Amino acid sequence: MMKASRGLTEEALSKQTDPSLLKESGLFKQLTNRYSESRGKFLIFSCALLMIVAVIAITLFLMVQGLRSFVVDHINPWTFITGMQWYPDSATHPSFGALPFIFGSMAVTLLAAVIATPIAVGTAIFMAELSQKWGQRLMQPVIEILVGIPSVVYGLIGLLVVVPFMRIHFGGSGFNLITGALVVGIMILPTVASIAADSIRAVPNSLREASYAIGGTKWQTIWRVVIPAAGANLITAIVLGMSRAFGEALAVQMVIGNARNLPHSLFDPAATLTTIITLSMGNSTTGSVLNDALWSLGLVLLLISYLFILLVRFLSRKRVL
Amino acid sequence: MIQLETKVANFTKKDITEKPVQIHVDKVNIYYGTNHAVKDISMPIHEKSITALIGPSGCGKSTFIRTINRMNDLIPSARCEGTIEYKGANILNPKIDVVQLRKAIGMVFQQPNPFPKSIRENIQLPLKFAGVRNKKELQEITEDCLKYVGLWDEVKDRLDRSATGLSGGQQQRLCIARALALKPQVILLDEPTSALDPVSSSKIEELLLQLKEDYTVVIVTHNMQQAARIADYTAFFYQGELVEFGFTSDLFNHPEKKSTADYISGRFG
Repeated sequence: MMKASRGLTEEALSKQTDPSLLKESGLFKQLTNRYSESRGKFLIFSCALLMIVAVIAITLFLMVQGLRSFVVDHINPWTFITGMQWYPDSATHPSFGALPFIFGSMAVTLLAAVIATPIAVGTAIFMAELSQKWGQRLMQPVIEILVGIPSVVYGLIGLLVVVPFMRIHFGGSGFNLITGALVVGIMILPTVASIAADSIRAVPNSLREASYAIGGTKWQTIWRVVIPAAGANLITAIVLGMSRAFGEALAVQMVIGNARNLPHSLFDPAATLTTIITLSMGNSTTGSVLNDALWSLGLVLLLISYLFILLVRFLSRKRVL
Repeated sequence: MIQLETKVANFTKKDITEKPVQIHVDKVNIYYGTNHAVKDISMPIHEKSITALIGPSGCGKSTFIRTINRMNDLIPSARCEGTIEYKGANILNPKIDVVQLRKAIGMVFQQPNPFPKSIRENIQLPLKFAGVRNKKELQEITEDCLKYVGLWDEVKDRLDRSATGLSGGQQQRLCIARALALKPQVILLDEPTSALDPVSSSKIEELLLQLKEDYTVVIVTHNMQQAARIADYTAFFYQGELVEFGFTSDLFNHPEKKSTADYISGRFG
């Protein structure tokens, strides 16, 4: 069938073809012809390609640098990931156990999500369902401003407000895990709220009408129809917030205390992958074992970030129940 | 057109035993902002009969039907004046509890809009909204409603699968079943078949004829043949006004107004 039809076309073309109807042949002609689509295609394709190349290059570069500590410096990867001792500067027995930092990053991220999610989803419902006028006029700019505040400002406020608060009410230095989580939680709040509001707005109005038409109240409509329908996208909003929390270095570093030990409670100082990298990078020389180990931490960070992205893709995939 | 007339011809006035009026519509005006969408409508809606609202696009028939269960409350700029009397109360009174009203006057929309939940949940959600908790009762009503709309045999093995996996016609019948779950007295349908294929449409039409035995049915339709086939009463709307109201056979065979005659003979609209 296919063959026959193709044969027919060729035959038809060879018989009576007006040359102006045929595509320009030859790459050069396609690119120089003013009316050709190829130039635009080429430009757009180059942009897309650049992005892909950048991602691959970053990943490869981190791989090469991050694997040095295992290949060149012979650090056992397993003890690197599960080790509890981080004493890179010990003259006799330098040890590179990154578990406290991996744990610290995870803990800060999860706690920040726990703090931010209820407030963010509540804000999103207010903006998108309850008060669309106020939501548009007041909340949207407020949230945009919150997103735009540099993380160092959040860190400073944490340093001047949250740390003394923790010190007075919970003892210790005030620099601890929960302070870090609180500061980051507030930092990711606007991101989560604004994506959550978008996902609520994306719920088709016909579902709201259906719910009202069967005698649903506003509350029932929001909780039983709109939120479940927005479900996967709401979770995407939370996970995106978490990935931002996971990558945050500066604000966390200012308030978390930067202890190299595994914290025993929420009120113990801790450190995260990002804080330890930013703190130690300046003090290490290129090619040293510590420097390689820090690259490895960066690699771990990147891999976990990829996991977050995969999770987002998995959760926001189109699904038929 | 000839076909239409033969169909209507054997549908004569004496076939109808006139039922009591359930809803009195009196001088209803509806505005969207400054746009006067529905002008001074007065008409009766008879119990356990089908009343069809026909007319060209933008004539106010959808706006009007959405007022009968106060769905227009969702549009901030919409404003209603006049009286729609139902059970001795004016529906348009702001003191009316719209949630209770909508439980008594259900609605089905143009696009089938099942919830993206299981088929079972779709029927049970209105009951849960109303506070029914008894599992056995929920199950029984689910089965009854699905049987009533002729969907039970098609879906009984997949009640827990998503309703969005059903065909358009099945989804629309599910939406009708959902509207029946709370045993309303009136069902409003806003062009329920215009998004469906002819076979699904005719199934819905059969279902509507069955529905009128137990419920009062008001239907907006673009399809004049559909109104001629199923409706007991027909109201012709044009430019926001109710031009003519009467028995379907009278309206189609002996229209009193020229614009009605022009519309039903296909000269505009």
